Formats: sequence, C-alpha cells, structure tokens
Amino acid sequence: MSEGPATASGPTAPAIEGIKLSRAFGGVQALAGASFSARRGEVHALVGENGAGKSTLIKILGGRLRADAGEVRLAGGTVELDSPDAAHRHGVWTVFQELTLLPWMTVAENLLIRREPRGAFRLIDRARMAKEADAVLAGLGIHNIDPRGLVEDLSLAQQQIVEIVRVIVQDPDILLLDEPTSSLGENEVEWLFGLIRDLSSRNKCIIFTSHRWKEITDVADRITIFRNGGELGTFTEIDENRAVTLMTGQQVDALYPERPALEAARPLLEARALNGPGVSGVSLTLRRGEILGVGGLAGHGHRELFFSLFGAAPTTGGEILVNESKVRISNPHDAIGLGIALVPEDRKTEGLILPMSVGTNLTLAILPQLSALGVIRGGHEGRAALNMVGKLKIRTPGLRNPVHQLSGGNQQKVLLARWLLADSHIVLLYDVTRGVDVATKHEIYELMTSLAREGRAVLFYSSDAEELAHLSHRVLVMREGRIAAELAAPGITAEDIVSAAVREATSIVG
Amino acid sequence: MTGKTPFAQFPDRIGLTRSVRRIVYVYLAAIVVFAVGQVVHPGFARLDSIAAILTVASFVGLVAAGQTFVVLIGGIDLSVPWVLNAAAILLVTSSLGQDGRAVYALLLTLGMGAAAGLVNGVIIAYLGVPAVVVTLAMNGIMEGLTLGLSGGMTCDSCASYAPPFVQDAVHGNLFGIPTALILWVVVIAGVSFVLSFTTFGRKTYAIGNNAKASYLAGVNVRLVTMLLYALSGFFAALAGILLVGFGGQASLGMGDPYLFQSIAAVVIGGVYVLGGRGHYLGTAAGAVTLVALVSVLMAMNMPDYGRNIIYGIVILILLLLYGREEKQE
Amino acid sequence: MSAEAAIERRRTRRLTHFLAQNVGLVLALAMLVMAVVLYGAAYWIEQTALPGMFELTSTVNNTMALVLCGMGQAFVVVTRGLDLSVGGVMDLANALAAVHIKDSVGSMVGWSLAILAIGALLGLVNGLLVAVGRLQPILVTLATLSIYQGLAIRVLPQPGGSIPPVYSSVLVNPNWPTALVYVLVVALIWYAFRRSSLGVSIFALGNDEQAARANGIDTVRAQIAAFTLSGLMSAAAGLFLAATATAGDATTGNGFTLSSIVAVVLGGMNLFGGRGSGVGVIAGAFVTTMIVNILFFSNIDPLYQSFYEGLFLVIAVVLGALISRLMRRRSR
Repeated sequence: MSEGPATASGPTAPAIEGIKLSRAFGGVQALAGASFSARRGEVHALVGENGAGKSTLIKILGGRLRADAGEVRLAGGTVELDSPDAAHRHGVWTVFQELTLLPWMTVAENLLIRREPRGAFRLIDRARMAKEADAVLAGLGIHNIDPRGLVEDLSLAQQQIVEIVRVIVQDPDILLLDEPTSSLGENEVEWLFGLIRDLSSRNKCIIFTSHRWKEITDVADRITIFRNGGELGTFTEIDENRAVTLMTGQQVDALYPERPALEAARPLLEARALNGPGVSGVSLTLRRGEILGVGGLAGHGHRELFFSLFGAAPTTGGEILVNESKVRISNPHDAIGLGIALVPEDRKTEGLILPMSVGTNLTLAILPQLSALGVIRGGHEGRAALNMVGKLKIRTPGLRNPVHQLSGGNQQKVLLARWLLADSHIVLLYDVTRGVDVATKHEIYELMTSLAREGRAVLFYSSDAEELAHLSHRVLVMREGRIAAELAAPGITAEDIVSAAVREATSIVG
Repeated sequence: MTGKTPFAQFPDRIGLTRSVRRIVYVYLAAIVVFAVGQVVHPGFARLDSIAAILTVASFVGLVAAGQTFVVLIGGIDLSVPWVLNAAAILLVTSSLGQDGRAVYALLLTLGMGAAAGLVNGVIIAYLGVPAVVVTLAMNGIMEGLTLGLSGGMTCDSCASYAPPFVQDAVHGNLFGIPTALILWVVVIAGVSFVLSFTTFGRKTYAIGNNAKASYLAGVNVRLVTMLLYALSGFFAALAGILLVGFGGQASLGMGDPYLFQSIAAVVIGGVYVLGGRGHYLGTAAGAVTLVALVSVLMAMNMPDYGRNIIYGIVILILLLLYGREEKQE
Repeated sequence: MSAEAAIERRRTRRLTHFLAQNVGLVLALAMLVMAVVLYGAAYWIEQTALPGMFELTSTVNNTMALVLCGMGQAFVVVTRGLDLSVGGVMDLANALAAVHIKDSVGSMVGWSLAILAIGALLGLVNGLLVAVGRLQPILVTLATLSIYQGLAIRVLPQPGGSIPPVYSSVLVNPNWPTALVYVLVVALIWYAFRRSSLGVSIFALGNDEQAARANGIDTVRAQIAAFTLSGLMSAAAGLFLAATATAGDATTGNGFTLSSIVAVVLGGMNLFGGRGSGVGVIAGAFVTTMIVNILFFSNIDPLYQSFYEGLFLVIAVVLGALISRLMRRRSR
C-alpha cells in the first residue's frame, strides 16, 4: 500500500513536504535525496535505524540545518527555513532529540525565553513569569515540575517534558518531535499522545520518530520508512517484521548471529549493591562467555553504572569483584589493568582521539608495554598495531592516517581493537551500534559473539531493545538507577524489555 | 592507495605534513626577518649580530619551552613573569655571589620554579580550576612574596651578583658559540625527543586532542597535567638563572616581558592554542623570529612602548591566521 | 490543607530555591559581613574606637575602581570567557584622564564621556575578535592587554598629569561617602541587565551556546556586547582610579586584571559561565579591599599585597571547587 510523495498544490497540498533533500557531514551522506510529505490532521511516524537520516530530515524541516540540495514546501509553496525562527514564523515547531534547555536557568525562564512578561521600564517581571509558567504547566496537567526550580535539577524525563511543553504552548501548525519518548515512562507517553491526538483533531500536522513499534502503531496514521539517507515508502499499515526488513535491508534472522552456547562458568565480574550518583543498589554477575544485556529508558543510570564499573565515575558504596576477588577501581587505568574495557557511546568524543593516527589510537592503552624507560619502541608498536588491523579487517590506508579519515564502522573497530590489544577479558559496550550502518552493525554483532565464544564476557547496553533481545543471554532492565527486572533467554522480546522499562514508580504528569 | 603497506614504524606526527610545513614556514620567516633587517640596517645579519640575537632568543625560547608544554594540552601559564623574576632574585640572594654556594643556589632555584609550577598543576589537574585563574593567582603570589621578602629589592643580599661561575657559563663560548646558545640547543633536542618519542610526549598530545578519551583509554591525565605545569615552572626558573647570569644582577620586573614573548613564540611557532598540535621545534623558530623582528624594529628607532604593541599585534595576526576555533556543525 | 498553609509552603519553597540558586551570592554576602566584623575588631584593637565616617568614605572610595572593573569582568565571565585586558583599558583611561581632563565643566564631562566611549570601543575590539574572529578570549585579551598597555605608555610616558580637584571630589569625595551612590548605580545596572533581553542572551550563551542558538538567540551579538560592557566598565574604573590618585600613571591599572578576577571569584560567580550575581561581585570587591585594610592593621608590609590577593584567589577557587563538588554529591 505504498504511496508516492504527493505533488498536488493549492488547498489540497500537503502541509509540509521535503523534496529530494540531501545533506552530508564531512563526507558522510546523512540524507541522500530523500522526499517526504505529511498532511494536515495526520500523525506521521518516521522510522528507520539509527543513522538512517530521520534526525537530519527533522533538523532541516525545523530550520536547524540547511540542506545541501532539495527544497522544503509548506502548503505547496517553497520556503526558505534557514533558522528555527524562520520555521517558527511558518508555524513549524520542533522538539529536537538533543534537548535545548538552558541548565542553570529556571524552568519558567526556559519556558518563556524571549517571550518573558515585561513590567516597569520594559524589564522582565520575574514574579509574573513564574505565575505564567505555573499556569502553563498546570493547564497541561503537569504537577511534579516546579517552575522556579533549575532545569539542571530535573530528571531527563522531566527535562524532556519541559522541552515538549515549550513547543506545545506555541500552538504549532506543524509539530516535529524527534525521539520524544526515549526517556519517558508509560504515563508520560500517554500524556504526550493525548496532546498529539488533540492537535491532530484540530487539523494540525504532527511528525515524530520513535524506536518503539507499539507506540508507532498506537498513534501514527501513516509511517514512512528510511534507510541509508533515503525514504523507502510511506504506509498506512505495515507489520513489524516487514518494516524491520525494510529498515535493515535484510531478514531479521539474518541480522543477528546465533548466541554462543553458555556453560556454567565462573563469574568474571560481579557488582554487589553498587551505589553512586545515579546508581542505587545494583548487583550483577557476569560470567565467562556470557553476553549480558542492559536495557531501560534513557537517563536511568546505565551510563553511570558502566562508568563506575570502569572506574570513571565515583561510587559511594558496594563492591566490585573481578575473578571472584574484591578489587578497588578508582580510575580507568586500574580497570584496564584488571582486564576491563569500555567502549563508550560516542566514539568521536569519548572513544577515539580523532585527529591522531590509527596507530596511536590502537596502542594508547598499552603504551607501557610497548616502551622501555618511557621511550616508545617504534618497531614493537608498529607490529602490534598492524597485527590488529589485519585481524579485525580494519580498512585504513595506513597506520599513520588520522583516524577521522576512517568510516564510522571502521572507527568503531579501531576502538574494539584497542581493547583486544590490551587483552581485556571483560568488555563493556555502551550503545556501540548507534549511528553505525547495517553492514558494520552486523560485523560488530559477530565480533561480540566471537568475544563471548573466546571466553570473554560482554556487558552491553543498547538503546535498541531489539538488539538486546536477540543477542543477550540475559537482559537486566534498569529503572531509576535500580535493576527493575531480569529477563533470560530464550524468549526475550523487545516488547518485554520496553514494558519493564516504562513501568514507573513516580509520575510527572496526571 | 588502499593497497599501500602501512608503515611498520610510526612515531606519531599528527597531521604530519601540515605541521612540518608550518614549522618550515617559521624558519623561513626568521630568515626573511634577518634579510629585511640587513636591508634596513646593514650589518644586522652579521655573524656576531646573529649570535647576539640568538642568545637573546634563547632566553625567550627556554620560557617558551614550558609554555609549549602547557599550551599543547590547551592550557596556559601566566605565572611565568614572576616565577622567572623570583628565580633570578633567589639565585643571587642564596648564592651571595659566591661560587662555593652556586650549586646549592642553582638546585634551590630550579626546585623553587618546579614547585611553583607543581602547585599550579595540582590545583588545575585535581580541582578542575581554569589554568588562567590559577596561574594568574600564582603570578600574584610570587610577585608579592618576591617583593615582600626582598623588601622591595632593598635587602642586603639583593644587590649580590650571580656567582661568577654562572656568569662565566652564560657569557662563555665553546668553539665560538655562546654557551647560552649551546644550552638552548641541548634543550631543543631534549624537549623534541620527549615530545616525539616518549610515552610522556604521546600522552601529552593525546590529552591535548581529547582529554576525556585519553582518560578513558587509561592515560593518567591528572599526573601528566601536573608534570607539564611543573616543567613550565622549571623552565621559567632556568631562564631566570640564565638572565641573571647574563646581566650579572637581578632586578624587579625583569620577568615582565617574558609572558607575552613566550606566548608569541608559541603562537608564531604554529602550536595550536587549543592544544594537541604543534612542536617545540616550531616554538624555537618562533622565538628567533620574534626577537629578530623586535630587534629590526628597535634598529629602526621604534620607541620602547612599541614593543608591547608589537607583541600584541603579532599574537593577534597569527591567531587570526591559524588559531581559529574549528567551526562546529 | 488550608490556604494559609499552602501559601506558607510556597513561601518557604521560594526561599529555599533562592538560597539553592544563589549559593555564591549568599556566601559572598556572608563573607562581606565577616570582613566588616573583622575590620571593626582590628580597628578596635588598634584605636579602641569603632571605625567611623572617615573609614567608610575611604573604603568606598578605594573600592570603587574594583567594583566597576569587577562588574565589567563579570559580564564576560557569565559568557564563560575571561577579559585579561581589563588592566590595559584602565591604564589607558587613567592616562587619558590625567593628560586631557582640564578644570572646566565642558572638559570634564566631554573627556569623561570620550574616555568611556574609548573604553567601550576597546572592549568592542575584543568582542569582535572573539565572536567574529572565533578566537579564544584568553589569548585575544592577553594580546590586547599588551597593546592597550603600550598605548597607555604612549599617552603618558611618565607618571604625572593632573586631575582637577573638583573632578576628584565629584567622583570620590574625601569627606563624605557619596561614592556609595555610584555603588548603588552599579547594583541597579546589574538589576536591569539581569531583567533585560541582553541579560537573557548573555546568560543563555554562558549556559550552553548551542542551546542558546537553538532558542533563536544571537550569540555572536551577545558575546560582543559582553566584552563591550567590560571595556566600558573598565574605562569607568580607570576614571575613578585617576580621580582617587589625583594624577595619572600608565601602569597602576595593571594589577586590576588580577583584582577583578579576585572580586568575581569572591563574589561567587562561576568561572564556567552562566551562573552568578553582579551584586555578589560588588560584595567581592569590598571584601577584597577590607582584607587589605585588615592586613594593614596587622602591620603586614603592603609589598605583600599581590601575594595575599593571589592567595585569596587560590583559596576562593579551591573552596569554590570543593563546595560545588560537595553540593553535587548531596543533590544526587
């Protein structure tokens, strides 16, 4: 039931259209001639893998990015949306994935920025500002956010709600939402969908992205599927399997390698009642050869957990055991010495040192082993690095080339290779497949399972519940810093993970 | 292209060609300045004149060695002037101009410099306070201590000379080359070796390019940061010793020009001010270019205040040429 | 729950919010009270009397320059920058004042305005280089510090010149603490700034540049404005410096780069931008002067002044870092 992009003009024209839009970032084509349209009164979902171009499209439609080629039309007429302000003038408002709140300002200041109520001498009337903000929040049924508090002190979900409210009060004609639910619990999602349905009943146009299939089918009238920077079609009805096949370009079964068999091995890494900022009372056991998944909503302590296991975030209580003996990990150096490795989510800012060479990035964690009296032994280093390049089939012109010249997937491999060189037995992978193309994703999955097969242990967090369900022997779901549920293979489904994650103790709305 | 065999050996040279090219430009610039000087003031490029300029440049170059280290991690050391000045005064007051006390005085002075730098480093690295603020405060601390303890240079020992041994060492020459210059060449070789071939140098560049990723790769960012500031203090003190050996006596304010000069040398030398790129080989050439440039202008009767203006303008022009913050997406 | 209880609860919540969101300001004011008490005690021990009008007048007069340049520095610190050229602008303003201001109303008013305009222009140059040239604030202002100092020496090679006594008595009356009026004016400037669009822009820039831009704020303009304000305030500080000394010296402003940062830090501003109060900075400036006065009573050689300034700056930033670390641990 595919439909091509509509080309009509006049009163029946689509509310918003993108025509053959392209945009590249430093050689990577994020959007390659994608077209898309949405009508008034409809809720339109954009789906696709991470890195398929949805966010780039939304940023272009929202005036945050300029397209390299192509045009944007509103009600049939071409418009130049060269800034968020320009988009706002046309009634187009966006809730971006990266929040745009100002952390050390109050909720009221953020809600009313550039529209502050004025008092004597045209100065901002702060008391009135707080009252107006109070009214706005109460009017939308939000009672757990204090307009006089600082944004910094809010939870990620609360911040997301403020961001949404800020746009909703503008009464947008066209509302774009990029991953609005990634940190929201089920009550908040219901609240948001209530707002969306209300807007669509008033003949507005709503476009949103999400990774949760159930939400998409709940609220969307039409669905457009994206892959590799282009649209594959728009559907009014499509089943999940078919959609995933379209999104990934392959059958679901072919995408995920088989889980390695799990023997009753001894624990390699244990945490007992681990406490720290964002983490409360987490206990877990990771065995040799095991792939242990960690899931949950964004902002619920996964990052803090991974970083404290690696010594990069402080702990205030509990203990960590490696090979069944208690250890003290006060910095990553200690962790590396104990055979622990961490591949962080953002390889560009936390993983790799982009301007430096492939070789340097490979050997950075094992410099002491490659040097004598502090002098690096060039020959040793070159051989070690070269060996890894061959083993992981890293496609690079040479060891001396800066690592930023490599493709995203190969960069991710360089990071993994660094830890193989360091001979790490406990590998912590934090959302490593984000923004990686499907082929490389597959290679990373293969690598993960082969790590487990070699007797290493993998702890891995992913924002993609599908991935967790297919690869893990067990999945721990975190909520508000605690382990809220444990699911064991076989029979883990993405649905189970999501529903365990969104169940909530405290609600912001209602 | 893809079939090319990767090099078996790779001392890391980030953006190799561009960096090397930039350093070559700096040396060319130095030569051009000497040539221009010869035109406007014949005799400027005579061998003894060149030697004199290089000797003056060596003082700047030593201070700039420390400055290079901290700029490579995106830092800055504003405490240079009074660490240098304090070192010069400490040398004369602790040695009282006697050779017998020279070794003790030298060790004490260098230790003082390194200690001041270390304190900077500890506060910057462990408490996350911006380097500008800490080193500016340290400059004030050293200034106040120096003024207070010396009674505004009125103390009896303040009028002492540098030990003859130190003075001779600075003024002497080996095969016709001034000793100060030889010392500088040794420092250039040493610092360059550290930057290019040691784990310490590698970590310095890694931190300068991305401190967070370096930390997560197991680099002890705090320790390295601390040591780099200690080195900066050490080099400032070393320059103070050479200066007082060169001039014989210490005076108040003798360190003042060296802040702007050291930073100008670093910037001219092509060290990226946000860290991670550049080399001391460039800074050394930058010091020569700067000193030669100022000498040419002085030979053209530029008034004294003009020097300050020149330092400022040179820094600004070079920043505009290649010190831009990279545009973010 | 009764209506009164709800109002009461809201009021206490408002107070806790104010305290939590203004820790720096509260600490600065507490420090000021402490400094005044200590000063009074030291004075009592020395003179067996309490400080009077004369002491108040001289303290206010001596602090005005720091209040002004500290406030200028504060505008830049909010943007997460630092203005090292403060001392250079003050030198130049000071030198120009000593050379040009003559004993006539026209000359006094005309040159004062001209010098303020020049100060703003020097700040504008910094702002343009930083915001349009996309250069690092620290290096830009370090370079312009050198240039402005050179220009100041060009204007007034030797200490000298003169300031008409009338001019001095208007700015820093030696008999009455009239300069308190100026302190009030500076506080009002901050109050208005904080409630203006410009204030919102500059604070938003210091919070998060990307987010500010996404909110449609012209961050380039905000950054330029912050540096221009800093230049303007520093020039005003230079005028007060000249008026206090009744003569000019092209180097007396040098130390104020350090002092202005001390005042900002003691005033509880966050050096990483986006947080802090100008009222705190005024308190910080007074604390700085009072400490020097207290040291004076303790018979400490004034030669040590910059030692103590540096030491207080270090202590303040170290304590600040420790306090914010503690608070972060608490709040989680």
